[in-house]
Amino acid sequence: MKRDNIKKLLVVFVMLFSIVNSYSQISKAEIIATGLTCSMCSNAISKQLKTMPEVEKVIIDLNANTFMVSLKKNNAITPQVLRASIEKAGFFVGSMVLTMDVDDTQVKDDTSFKNASGTYVFVDAKEKTTNGTLRLKVLNSGFVTKKEYKQSVKMLSKYLASGTQEETYFVKTI
Amino acid sequence: MRHLVIVVLCLLSFQIKAQELFVMTEPASNMPTGSIGVRDMSHFALKKTDGYNYHNMPELMWGASKNWMIHASAFLSNKQGDLKFEGASLYAKYRFFSVDDLHSHFRLAAYGRISTNNSSIIQEDIETMGMNSGYEIGIVATKLINKTALSASVSYERALNNQDYAFPDTFSNSAMNYTFSIGQLMYPKKYTNFKQTNINGMLEFLGQRLNQNGKSYLDVVPSVQFIINSQARIDLAYRHQIYSDMERTSANGILLKLEYTFFNVTN
Repeated sequence: MKRDNIKKLLVVFVMLFSIVNSYSQISKAEIIATGLTCSMCSNAISKQLKTMPEVEKVIIDLNANTFMVSLKKNNAITPQVLRASIEKAGFFVGSMVLTMDVDDTQVKDDTSFKNASGTYVFVDAKEKTTNGTLRLKVLNSGFVTKKEYKQSVKMLSKYLASGTQEETYFVKTI
Repeated sequence: MRHLVIVVLCLLSFQIKAQELFVMTEPASNMPTGSIGVRDMSHFALKKTDGYNYHNMPELMWGASKNWMIHASAFLSNKQGDLKFEGASLYAKYRFFSVDDLHSHFRLAAYGRISTNNSSIIQEDIETMGMNSGYEIGIVATKLINKTALSASVSYERALNNQDYAFPDTFSNSAMNYTFSIGQLMYPKKYTNFKQTNINGMLEFLGQRLNQNGKSYLDVVPSVQFIINSQARIDLAYRHQIYSDMERTSANGILLKLEYTFFNVTN
């Protein structure tokens, strides 16, 4: 019993620590929405995205259904929240690429880093150290097309040990 | 006539460009969560003899969640002289299946409507949108491929007694409805901004078969739709009876529908 409490405390401590220590956040998200071809649909998504206080502006490519979402400084928005916003408008996410500013992050296959927006597990990554900007494509189910997820599910399975809980995102640097 | 329709349909289906905001039927897709749409339909129902009855249907629509939407409609007409309130209906639709890809989707939804009406019943066809008290339950499938939308629905419609008029015993009080709709975006070929007016062309087939006596009708509705500022809609349609062996007060008619969407009202 006591040991459990200590464990819980440790977990909380680690979580707090990691949040306090996270300078990194999502500064931009490039989202391709699926299931639409009309400008009225794109308008609905754009307006839905703009209701979120973290969103600074949205630039849209109507022909490619791409939404460039610029986010305010020090936001704690999660990829899951961005996805939910697209789905509220009645559509789905076909691709989500996050831009994150990071300090001295070691990019290494099957390692993870954490910030206010979630835990990110590097998939199929070449080893390097970045100081600056990371562009990360989210590979989780619901963040890529169903077809794409099916194709990558086998490859992703070896990373699953790194965590399947919510707010854990499998990402590929691009 | 039937052959002509099939030819037109084939021709249309080759020019792959379209939309699914149909004039006569609802697609399986819903409006965005939290948005409210207001719609007004004017229906000039041409009488068999001469002249027309004017029907007006204001409608309020709400995207309750990503899967649920609700409509409330009122029915007015000048069938008995002056324009008079005749009834109202509530409609709900639940989207329960979606497969979306980059420029396509396939969706399924179930829907239901309950209506009340106080007009006299002289027509055999059942229409809970403005003619009969009763209910309708159905299922709709919509496929969007690039800019062509195809949608089909099947529904069961049951007429009850209207407020002051009993449903005639000699008529069939239930029916199956079948619809098939095709729509295509004709303009713009390439989007530059939200302000561009979109023009959609549509062709819809509406069929009904009365369960008790097997009588049926099939109508075709060609229409053109303008979407302005990605927010307002103007639809102009002509409903034409292809065949029918039931007694209808009016089969052919002209429809004008205006719609405006307010986004993120109840978010």
